[in-house]
Amino acid sequence: MLSLWENILKVSPDIPLQSVLRSSSQQAEQINRVGNYFYLAAGFILLIVAAFTAFVLYKFGEKKNNGDKKTLSSKWEIAMIGIPSFLVAFFLYLNIKTINTVEPAVNGAAPEAIITAHQWWWEARYPSSNVVTANEIHLPVGKKILLKLLASDVIHDWWIPQFGNKMDMVPAQENYLWLDIKQPGDYYGICSEFCGAQHAHMRIKVIAQTQEDYNNWLKQHQQAATTTTFNSGAQLFMTKTCGNCHRINGTAANGSVGPDLTHLGSRETLLAGLLENNIQNLESWIKHPQQIKPGANMPDFHLDDTTTKAISDYLFSLK
Amino acid sequence: MKAILLDSIERDLPVAHRDRTLLRWLSTVDHKEIGKLYLMAALLFFVVGGVEALLMRTQLAVANNHLLGPDAYNQIFTMHGVTMIFFVLMPALLGLTVYIVPLMIGANEMAFPRLNAFSFWISFSGGLLLYFSFAAGGAPNAGWFNYAPLNQENYSSSPGINYYAMGLLLGGIGSVTTAINIIVTILKMRVKGMSLKRLPLFVWMALVNGFLIIAAMPSLNAALSMLLLDRLMEAHFFNTTAGGSALLWQHLFWLFGHPEVYILILPAFGIYSEVFQVFSQKKIYGYVFVAASTVAIGLLSFGVWAHHMFAAGLGNTVNSFFGASSMLIGIPTGIKIFNWIGTMYGGRIRLTTSMLFAIAFLIEFTIGGLSGIEFSIVPLDWQLTDSYFVVAHLHYVLLGGSLFGLFSALFYWFPKITGRMLNETLGKWFFWLFTVGFNLTFLLQHFLGLMGMPRRVYTYQDIPYYTILNLLSTAGAYLMGIAVIILIYNIFKTIKAAPMENKDPWNAFTLEWYAGSPPNEKNFIDVPVVTSRRPFWDLKNPENRDYD
Amino acid sequence: MNRLMMKLTIGSEAIFFLCLIVSYLYFWRSGNFQKEVAAHLHIKTTGLFTILLLCSSFTFWKAEQNHQRENFTRVKAWLIATILLGVIFLAGQGHEYYNLIKENVLINKNEFGSNFYALTGFHGLHVLIGLVVLIIVLLLTLNGFLRNKSSSVLSTVGIYWHFVDVVWIFVFTTIYVLPYIL
Repeated sequence: MLSLWENILKVSPDIPLQSVLRSSSQQAEQINRVGNYFYLAAGFILLIVAAFTAFVLYKFGEKKNNGDKKTLSSKWEIAMIGIPSFLVAFFLYLNIKTINTVEPAVNGAAPEAIITAHQWWWEARYPSSNVVTANEIHLPVGKKILLKLLASDVIHDWWIPQFGNKMDMVPAQENYLWLDIKQPGDYYGICSEFCGAQHAHMRIKVIAQTQEDYNNWLKQHQQAATTTTFNSGAQLFMTKTCGNCHRINGTAANGSVGPDLTHLGSRETLLAGLLENNIQNLESWIKHPQQIKPGANMPDFHLDDTTTKAISDYLFSLK
Repeated sequence: MKAILLDSIERDLPVAHRDRTLLRWLSTVDHKEIGKLYLMAALLFFVVGGVEALLMRTQLAVANNHLLGPDAYNQIFTMHGVTMIFFVLMPALLGLTVYIVPLMIGANEMAFPRLNAFSFWISFSGGLLLYFSFAAGGAPNAGWFNYAPLNQENYSSSPGINYYAMGLLLGGIGSVTTAINIIVTILKMRVKGMSLKRLPLFVWMALVNGFLIIAAMPSLNAALSMLLLDRLMEAHFFNTTAGGSALLWQHLFWLFGHPEVYILILPAFGIYSEVFQVFSQKKIYGYVFVAASTVAIGLLSFGVWAHHMFAAGLGNTVNSFFGASSMLIGIPTGIKIFNWIGTMYGGRIRLTTSMLFAIAFLIEFTIGGLSGIEFSIVPLDWQLTDSYFVVAHLHYVLLGGSLFGLFSALFYWFPKITGRMLNETLGKWFFWLFTVGFNLTFLLQHFLGLMGMPRRVYTYQDIPYYTILNLLSTAGAYLMGIAVIILIYNIFKTIKAAPMENKDPWNAFTLEWYAGSPPNEKNFIDVPVVTSRRPFWDLKNPENRDYD
Repeated sequence: MNRLMMKLTIGSEAIFFLCLIVSYLYFWRSGNFQKEVAAHLHIKTTGLFTILLLCSSFTFWKAEQNHQRENFTRVKAWLIATILLGVIFLAGQGHEYYNLIKENVLINKNEFGSNFYALTGFHGLHVLIGLVVLIIVLLLTLNGFLRNKSSSVLSTVGIYWHFVDVVWIFVFTTIYVLPYIL
């Protein structure tokens, strides 16, 4: 029997290279424009410092100079204050301009999605259609949308490197992030404010879709869970008290402590991007959560194998 | 050139036991012994903090590693940060200051010798108390800046954070009392002729630094007191479920935290100012600019704190203000780099180990400073804060700046403190191994940040390039570890060697070199009259003395 | 040197109290402090004790004066007066705390409780430390020490004691007076 860790290594989802320099949103593009200017200027300054240092080391080594004490004129001091000041002024202008381009005032705009961060998963609500889901967040491309960011417990942070900027989720506070995604695709991110034991495994997956696909997804997610009430997995889900923490729309399960599981079967990953969504992983998780994601708020229920399999089958069937 | 007798400054100093016993070390009030105590304690915590770093880097060497679980890792990364900042860099820099400053100003002691001893022992106790947490249920595990509400009892129920608060409160008291001691010493006990305009730059930095410490620590003390009230008496300062404010913690912490990083770098700037002069055999280029820019940095450092909070949602107006102030503070820092290179210009440069660290500092700190300025551009901060890019930045400035300063000071002042010179060959091996290791570890972390790796993660998934970059970064850490072993071997080997005859091996300029190497118990029997910024140089070269 | 040391110390402590006051003001609105103060605090009573504390600055100043004139008997008398006034102030604060606790205003009750007790409590602690120092000075004086009129002990202690009073003025204004102004 493979150890659990080897299991995770084997089925850990593939994530492609994430680079902030790949501007996948308008915001990222604007930020990288400033970034490019900056790296140019910084590279130039570093070069000057290195060159000047190398020059003096070469020219004024111990054996070379014979006590002829040259010294730099004080006029250079003025230049050394003047040139940096000019650079500062230039970048200050870019700084403030880009702040307002990337994050203009919200002015009461309606958010496309309200994302609430929990220890260690993401809740997403879509107010216009009453959809609730978790961890895999679908968003439309090609238009400027507003994300409302909340935290239910400690401070978390929403960051998709290819979308550019990040924003904290602070408890008892409402933060906002504007986002204008350029192309459909899968984008990966991660919580970027230390939030406790499993901060490392609080990944984000944004599935950006065309408006049409996105609307279809919303419609499909508005549906209640399709399952017969005589499904043993569904019954066990309630009797084993899973419904106290998890919601499955259309059933009596209505908890909000843990992720909404109404369409769990339709997701590609589990546990905020930790595992690929397949039956084995689902079973492993339900059987011993504390060994897979130690510290997670889901306790070990010590369920036997039959129960675990039934519940897993049931949840996996919720497409 | 008449030497003046220090009769007006001679006082009845409290005398510790004269024999070489443990009791002598425990009861001494001699600033030189206390300075050495600080340095030895800092070295001890440096090794501990270094081991913590190696543990972290080993865990991060490959993807999905399970050498350390999240609980252990989170304690270790927290303790690594707290240890290095509060119990290595601060005590080492303050200890060096306490040793050198009285000698540099021609004094026989600090203003308050007993307070000096108290300061050391209370800060050392703070460190011990912090480490006791490992045995008392777990070390603090919410990071060195310990954000709320994660730092609250309901999210961090192990007593570690209580020890964090108490350990830092004790350490903080030690820092403030030392700072007060240093300021009074500098303002009241300078030898005749040493006006403020003739202070050695190390002393200038110490003076400004003293004010920074007494103004910044209270903010941390307030935050820590409120935190203890929250955790022990269920108060509502930072408990967001009961009306508390997460951001208030951040404001109070960073109001301390930002000046703190200047507290860590100013003494190093002082060290470099001395080292560049002596090993170029030339006086500092632009004394007034270096001194004035230090005062500017000191003042500005209290107006930039919220640049640690750009992603917290403070609003564009606030962000713009702090972005502007943070960009501004880069200018007085940059000036100094120019002044140090300008000091070497036209000099006779000796590439001793001490000087090598100073020269390396110029490049490392420029890199670290530039990445810092990058963060002052708010949208770039939004992109890269809380990623490994920050980890790279902070290590470039703290290691490349402060730690290299300590290494430079160690090789420069070792003969003064012990009467023996550290082995230069071993020193150069140490320098190169450490510098190569350092750049290997931290240069690559810039790229990890650009590729989306967040900080404070105990592991990462198998994302392209993450493993190779992390593995190389870990290799660099081990190189640094080996280098430190060479350093420690060098220190112990040198201490056992015979003392040297020459009390002024580097042909230096300032008064501490006029005293013996090591100095007598009462530092000076007489002190040359001070008529310029380089009194010892003037004494040795009366035909070629300075006039300013 | 001692005076400079004390000035630097109170400078640091001033910033500490500033942080506590800023925290208090930070929660003013969300914690409904206007209402809380109106319901639970009594400006007249506390005002009286404030005046007594301020008088203790005067009495200490008299002690310093007499020390300069080498009237050591008077020094002792004025020191005792200062200590007594300080003790009465603390007793008053203790009594106020007692009543507040009876009214269920506790440090863990709400924002007001936490901030009120933190701010006044740390001030009271500084008064207590000052009293300990004053008692030591009194004991020294009673036993024949501090006879040199150029000794800096009294003026140094004085800086601290006056500081404690000035802080109280700020604290009192913030907590008790502000609700009337705003």
